[in-house]
Amino acid sequence: MSVIGPQAQTQIAVPPRVRPLEGGSRLEWVLMHIVFAAVTLFFLAPFIWLFTAAFDAHAQAYIRWPSAPTLDNFVQIFSRYAFATALSNSVFVAVSTMLLTVFVVSLAGYSLSRIELRQKAWITYAVLLLQTMPLSATMVPIYGLARELGLRNSYLGLILVHSAIELPFLVWLMKGFFDSVPRQLEEAAWLDGRGKLRALFEIVLPVARPGIAVAAGLSFLSAWAEVLMVLILVDQQSMKTIPLAFYETFRSAGGYTEVQYGLVAAMGVLYVLPVMAVFFATRRLMVRGLMSSTRGL
Amino acid sequence: MGRVEYDDVWKQFPTRDAPAVRGLTLDVADGEFLVLLGPSGCGKTTALRMLAGLEHPDRGDIRIEGRSVLRLEPKDRNVALVFQSYALYPHMSVRGNIEYPLRVRNIAPAERERKVERAADLLRIQHLLPRRPGQLSGGEQQRVALARAIVREPQVFLMDEPLSNLDAKLRTHTRTELKALQQQLGVTTIFVTHDQAEAMTMADRIAVLDAGVLQQLGTPDNVYQRPANLFVAQFIGSPPMNILDATRDGEALVVAGGWRIAAPHRLDGARAVKVGLRPEAIDLAMAGGDDGQPAEVLVSEPLGSEVIVNVQLADVLLKVRTAPDVRPDPGARVYLRARHDGVRVFDGTTGAALN
Repeated sequence: MSVIGPQAQTQIAVPPRVRPLEGGSRLEWVLMHIVFAAVTLFFLAPFIWLFTAAFDAHAQAYIRWPSAPTLDNFVQIFSRYAFATALSNSVFVAVSTMLLTVFVVSLAGYSLSRIELRQKAWITYAVLLLQTMPLSATMVPIYGLARELGLRNSYLGLILVHSAIELPFLVWLMKGFFDSVPRQLEEAAWLDGRGKLRALFEIVLPVARPGIAVAAGLSFLSAWAEVLMVLILVDQQSMKTIPLAFYETFRSAGGYTEVQYGLVAAMGVLYVLPVMAVFFATRRLMVRGLMSSTRGL
Repeated sequence: MGRVEYDDVWKQFPTRDAPAVRGLTLDVADGEFLVLLGPSGCGKTTALRMLAGLEHPDRGDIRIEGRSVLRLEPKDRNVALVFQSYALYPHMSVRGNIEYPLRVRNIAPAERERKVERAADLLRIQHLLPRRPGQLSGGEQQRVALARAIVREPQVFLMDEPLSNLDAKLRTHTRTELKALQQQLGVTTIFVTHDQAEAMTMADRIAVLDAGVLQQLGTPDNVYQRPANLFVAQFIGSPPMNILDATRDGEALVVAGGWRIAAPHRLDGARAVKVGLRPEAIDLAMAGGDDGQPAEVLVSEPLGSEVIVNVQLADVLLKVRTAPDVRPDPGARVYLRARHDGVRVFDGTTGAALN
């Protein structure tokens, strides 16, 4: 038997479509598009060079269309420069860093957001203070620590250091996301019969998904692009990651005077593709996450 | 079965100077609809959250069916709470939301399906089951939250101002339906609100709280007609009770403008008192009689079914409820008579009713 009758649906007003150039002159329209095109070209130029030079057997330091496009540069970086090892090392280190970081920042951010601690504000600011420390200032102690703990030339060392670099900022970011998730959601889950940890994983984390996507994306990209710590922690060929392989190829294949631009560009292409893939796979969540993170500040 | 007892419950938050709840003792009968009523910050939501296990009392005991629940986690208390914001899980469909508490309890899928359909049927939200909470209006979300609460068949329903996010028309409609639903299910319900009209229309009994202290517990009629103190007298009723300082002169109480009102009962001692008169406990006449107290009309407020006439009596403004056809002009002279059975007397110092 029904005791509650239907009620009126809420009307949602559709705002009129905004036309920014309405009322502007044709000259303004043309000038604006020229500026847009120039800015776009400026930022696209390095990528155009990268993607043309990679397929050019005689690539130069300027953009030129390859006369006979070839995959020779790619074949060479895998056959002569052991790029496969660097690629798999980078993928493994970046993905592991991402998983570890997301796990840690989710729990730390949630704790800072929810648990009542006496000096919570100080703890939270201390975390942010860590982020302001220049990375190069920590080089020597990190090198010493890694050597003492046997973490040089090891995946674990790289993963721990890369995670530690990103943790402070991402803990803050995640705290902001959890702050924006209403507490009543998890309280409802507790009353529905869930314990606190399960409620976190089933209710809070899925709601904070955009935040987790941002944390995952940023930690992957950071570990993927990091050079300084790889330089001080790795000196074995079998452990080197792409940035190191990239640097060595640039230096050794022909020296500084006669750079093998085609090889460098081929490595560059394989270096940026995963980054683009990560971005395109998570772009909607990332944008939503970044928008809501700035709203919360 | 869901008898609820608060036994001298105290709660103080570290960030606040005064306790949120002070010595609350309350016995809610099985199947009763009890409303916790009071202004913002009076401790009513804290009292509700302590029963749900979301806050822990500093002192005292809370029992459901005679068993203390203080050591139980929220999940083990068998109470369902409808939040002010509804707290629907945004990443789940309406069906997912309603069946969540059943899934948590490992109810078999067929049984789960049956219970969800029954709850959806009861609240007429079958057509909403595939949708997400974000696609629903406020009223629809409120029904889903109710369905999620009733699907578990808890011992006690707790409702924390569930109507406050609805517009006025829908709120009036829903409170009638909610009361009917509670009567049909017969589950003990504790409903928190600051809206005295909601409390009056829905409650079997009302517990009025102020500053963490239970001011009065009684039926809506009792709380309205016989307020325990000045706070309840002025909090309940719209417009609230007129309160006038009075001096005693034999069996009469003399208030503003020398208006003599017969005391409703013997008053002991010579204490300072205050007289309380509901707007409908004052008869207003256009022509004077032997005992009519002359006063001047300030303004009349027609409300359709009644008129609230504001009259100036010396330095006091009185509100008088009259029939819709009585609309004296501003400045008109009228004559007031207090109905003997409507006169309430309060202690001038403590504010407690003198009965």
